[in-house]
Amino acid sequence: MSSFRIGVDVGGTFTDVVCVAADGTTTLAKSSSTPADQSEGVVNGLGVLAERLGLTLPDLLARTERIVHGTTVATNALLERKGARVAMLTTEGHRDVIEMREGLKPERYDLRLPAAPALVPRRLRLPVRERIRPDGRVEVALDRTSLDAAIATLKAEQVEAVAICFLHSWRDDAHERAAAEAVRAALPGVFVTTSAEVLPQIKEFERFSTACVNAYVGPVVSRYLARLRGRLADAGFGGPVFVILSHGGVAPVEEAARLAAGTALSGPAGGVAAGVALAQRGLGDDLITFDVGGTSTDIALVQGGEAALGRGRTVAGERIALESLDIVTLGAGGGSIGHVGAGGTLQVGPRSAGAVPGPVAYGQGGTEPAVTDANLVLGYLDPDNFLGGARKLDRDGARAAFERLGASLGLDALAAAEGVHRLANVRMADGIRVATVRRGVDPRDFTLLSFGGAAGLHASAVARELGMRRVAVPVFAAGLSAWGMLHTDLRYEMARSELGTGGVPDDATLRGIWAGLEQEGRARVATWFGGEVETKRAADMRYGEQVFEIAVPLEEVDWQASGLARRVTEAFHGRHESLFTYALRGEEVVLVNARLAVIGRLPPMPARDAASGGAAAGPFAHRRARLAGAEAELPVYDFAALAPGQQVAGPAIIESDTTTVLLLPGDVARMDGRGWLVVVLPEET
Amino acid sequence: MTTPDPVTLSVLDNRFRAIVEEMGEAMLRTTYSQILNSSRDFSIALCDAQARLVAQADHIPVHVGAMPYAVQAVRDAFGETVREGDVYLLNDPYHGGSHLPDLTAIVPVFCQGRLVFWSVVRAHHTDIGGATHGGYNPGATEIWQEGLRIPPILLGRDRTPREDLVRMIATNTRLPREVRGDLMAMIGAAHLGERRLLTVLAKHGAEGTVAAVDAILALSEAHARRIVAGWADGEWLGEAFLDDDGFGGTDIAIRARVTKRGDSLTVDLSESDPQTPGFVNSSYPNMASAVRMAFAFLLDPEVAKNDGCFRPVDIVAKEGTVVWAREGAPVTMCTSHCSNEIVEAVVKALANACPERAMGGWGRRFRVAIKGRDARRPDRPFVWHLFHARPGGGGSSKGDGWSTAGEWHSAGGLKFGSVEMAEARFPLFFAKHEFRPGSAGDGTYRGGLGGELELRLETDGPAVANTAGDGVRYGAAGMLGGRDGAPHHYTLNRADGTSRDLRTKEVGIPLAPGDVLHVRAGGGGGWGPPDKRDPAARARDAAEGLL
Repeated sequence: MSSFRIGVDVGGTFTDVVCVAADGTTTLAKSSSTPADQSEGVVNGLGVLAERLGLTLPDLLARTERIVHGTTVATNALLERKGARVAMLTTEGHRDVIEMREGLKPERYDLRLPAAPALVPRRLRLPVRERIRPDGRVEVALDRTSLDAAIATLKAEQVEAVAICFLHSWRDDAHERAAAEAVRAALPGVFVTTSAEVLPQIKEFERFSTACVNAYVGPVVSRYLARLRGRLADAGFGGPVFVILSHGGVAPVEEAARLAAGTALSGPAGGVAAGVALAQRGLGDDLITFDVGGTSTDIALVQGGEAALGRGRTVAGERIALESLDIVTLGAGGGSIGHVGAGGTLQVGPRSAGAVPGPVAYGQGGTEPAVTDANLVLGYLDPDNFLGGARKLDRDGARAAFERLGASLGLDALAAAEGVHRLANVRMADGIRVATVRRGVDPRDFTLLSFGGAAGLHASAVARELGMRRVAVPVFAAGLSAWGMLHTDLRYEMARSELGTGGVPDDATLRGIWAGLEQEGRARVATWFGGEVETKRAADMRYGEQVFEIAVPLEEVDWQASGLARRVTEAFHGRHESLFTYALRGEEVVLVNARLAVIGRLPPMPARDAASGGAAAGPFAHRRARLAGAEAELPVYDFAALAPGQQVAGPAIIESDTTTVLLLPGDVARMDGRGWLVVVLPEET
Repeated sequence: MTTPDPVTLSVLDNRFRAIVEEMGEAMLRTTYSQILNSSRDFSIALCDAQARLVAQADHIPVHVGAMPYAVQAVRDAFGETVREGDVYLLNDPYHGGSHLPDLTAIVPVFCQGRLVFWSVVRAHHTDIGGATHGGYNPGATEIWQEGLRIPPILLGRDRTPREDLVRMIATNTRLPREVRGDLMAMIGAAHLGERRLLTVLAKHGAEGTVAAVDAILALSEAHARRIVAGWADGEWLGEAFLDDDGFGGTDIAIRARVTKRGDSLTVDLSESDPQTPGFVNSSYPNMASAVRMAFAFLLDPEVAKNDGCFRPVDIVAKEGTVVWAREGAPVTMCTSHCSNEIVEAVVKALANACPERAMGGWGRRFRVAIKGRDARRPDRPFVWHLFHARPGGGGSSKGDGWSTAGEWHSAGGLKFGSVEMAEARFPLFFAKHEFRPGSAGDGTYRGGLGGELELRLETDGPAVANTAGDGVRYGAAGMLGGRDGAPHHYTLNRADGTSRDLRTKEVGIPLAPGDVLHVRAGGGGGWGPPDKRDPAARARDAAEGLL
């Protein structure tokens, strides 16, 4: 009998496995990640989990209803430039689109930065004579001679993947489809992707780049997912495997292999999905997810209970214009190194100690002090009880490293450590401030959702910097991403450019456009599962004279009522006003892309009822720590022992096997029976 | 004076940088015009009470170090009368500005009655009046033909701009709605900076904050001086040339005599040619900014761009030369030309002192604007600005240059739009838009390639084009034995079968449907002798079809 759902999040160091049983009991297991083949670590983690549950692996898997997986295979292939050998067929006269990068180069003041090679070298960007106009007219028919010549080159070069990228295929992809058919016929086994199939949207750089990324990571991701399925089958699992995609929804492995570019944010997506799930469970509708890892901090917004999406994503310098979670990554985490920069000031990051050698306190050869070392020296971390005692920390070594750092600044070791801790807080807070302002929201109205091993020691101070009043720490802070994956639905994102010459199309045309999307989307999702499906409409629109569109949600628009075009137009004005403080109601409005999210509702996850009562647990120890330049004796509480409803006043430390929370003076933490701790900060003084 | 502790120093340094970044984000979100919210042609600065640059957002290199002149102009004009809540504005190149399209909004920041900071926002406006749309008027012989001059003015008190003044400025432009919206966005961003600084001041006090600023500038100065001290001592002359001034004057020389001793430099531009009748002259602040931009390019990218890092450089120039025109001369082109030539002359001279840091020349700017009618939208004419087919960036000791990444003054920061979108919105057909093979300057590390564009006009009836720019005779300079990039070459191939080369400073070129504009943009300059180029790199370029 099926009773378990399992989420698996593969990180740089650990693979987290979270299992939710039918009664809502949640169990976390960790294993070391296996970068050469992540699926090995996945199966190892499942083994550890089975052991924890007192089951054999085949027993566990036989009783598992579904597995949801977050993978960094695509991201790593891009970062390490270990993707497939890709060629591109493209419209004659326009073969350099992906290398021109719209005229942009990173690092404004680094003119010695060498030019970055394109994902597909120029000699493999093969011109084909053809041309379609933006109104669909065929200017030049698809020329077989140039197509055959290109295919001959593909053969000679033994490419593994081909991206077919023709101008205006957003309007009509007949040429792309014909070319794809010819390539498939001539080169069976080669991964073929067309730009219109990946992203049927106007703007060639975004579409071509996304298609090339898809071709580059497609074969790698396909092979990986096939291996994973094989290993799971060997271990006895016959149920469905879903992959969490960059947009925060999940899809079957086959879809993830087809649209491999859509897995680029699969890693951090689980944490944001968790934020949405916790919002639904009553934590509050407006959250800032604050996921502090070893080398970086991921920040995202959950507003009104929904995760913010965006399309401007760049991964490893490559543009992926698919709808994806709007996650901001800062180069500051537990492993970020404190050092005196070339300019003579104390700095934290962006260099990181990483997993190897790791912070000085790991005793694996690190010599420069990291943020984690600072937290240890300041007394926030217990050297004997880090990760539930799994790793002993070398406090003296860390302290010596701060003595060395402090010497060059005229500070003692503790002052240097406190400086690194403070500076890390400031950098994280500034990152959140800029990320929220960029999205037009005021962080003070949000709750800071703190997770990932290292967030709890910084959350209260970061919230203070931002004027935020509320911090939440889930009990499963360290495995939250894997937990979050289990709580998100199937999702298929669709977009079509529908750029006419005039303004917004008439009512009948609008209904026709979305009816077409809906039919196609529902048909696809029906091949994934048999449950309930719902859809959400949105559009990309702009004023006639503008170049950039804004995303307009159309969920509130009554689709059946008369005057639909007027309602859609008004939804745009309203959105523009809320984003930019003004609307121009006399101006022409243009609809560029029609969007539809098709959502397959997975059965709700069981949750344990909010427990209440129980005996309040006192501190199990006291620890000397340094707070704001002074020594203090802090009570230390066991996170797991806190009774629902119990309150703890700061300053204090709350510890679990996987995370530590620092409460500052004036903070009041309250254990919520639904599985999280809420810290309320004092009013600003 | 109190000495700030090193941690507070770092915290404040981070805060200042985050504040300018946040102000920039606010600008992107609230400005009306595309030149600001998509091309980001604006800059943000915080200056201290003495008009020293404390922090600047990395948007447009050509504004680096120019903003303190604007603050100084306000101080000169208003001195002791400056009060909390005042809003100041200027654009006059002869009183703190760079060129007329760039308006600068300036807000003082007080702490307990003491002026501590200035929050500054500069933005390029879509139009500023004058004889031609958009402000670039190659026919101008005096500044009054280039647009509305605004010396430092008190735009309002109590953080509220005077409506009558705003209306007066907007009324003097062709796009009053955009100009007003962008102006309000600038003032909003400046006030955001003020609010954030007030929080910093409340926490650290005026005394403590000022002490930290002094220390931050001193550290940045020391950082820059440590780098300069590692360069060879000597005196060198760097020369760069403008093609022409649009009025018959050709080969206009910009000469930088650079003396380097120990950890200091003197850049003397006084041997440059006299000022010209046309708009390629520079204002003083723009010239000083160009020198600092060149210096910043030669430092490490992570050196904080503030008053301290520019202290090692002394600038000497002579009024009446092309780099520092006398009041009244036209200067609108100057943020491109002669800015780019000033940078190139300085880098050329200093290539002798720090060869590993020098880079081949970046491209020159050659604008084209086309005005005509689209049969699909007969109600109003369109204006299209050429941002495609950009020139190449220079090579350097670290590698080949970036292709189609642009000019010295934008350095890969200016985005061109989608060809598909342009075809959908304008009666234009982009037959070809690719790299221009053979355009890169050869070298141990070659320059980046320029772009090539074949653009066919499909207008409803005749159209008209204006050009503004330079660089059809002089290409981006090769450095240290590297070759110059190919210069620009724009031709007009008419539907009637005739053909002619376009000049860089033309007004009112008549066009007809079927005419093809063939743009061949210049390549970047090479670095180091070509015979030292890795044969494998040369073979790769051949295989890639770049030669």
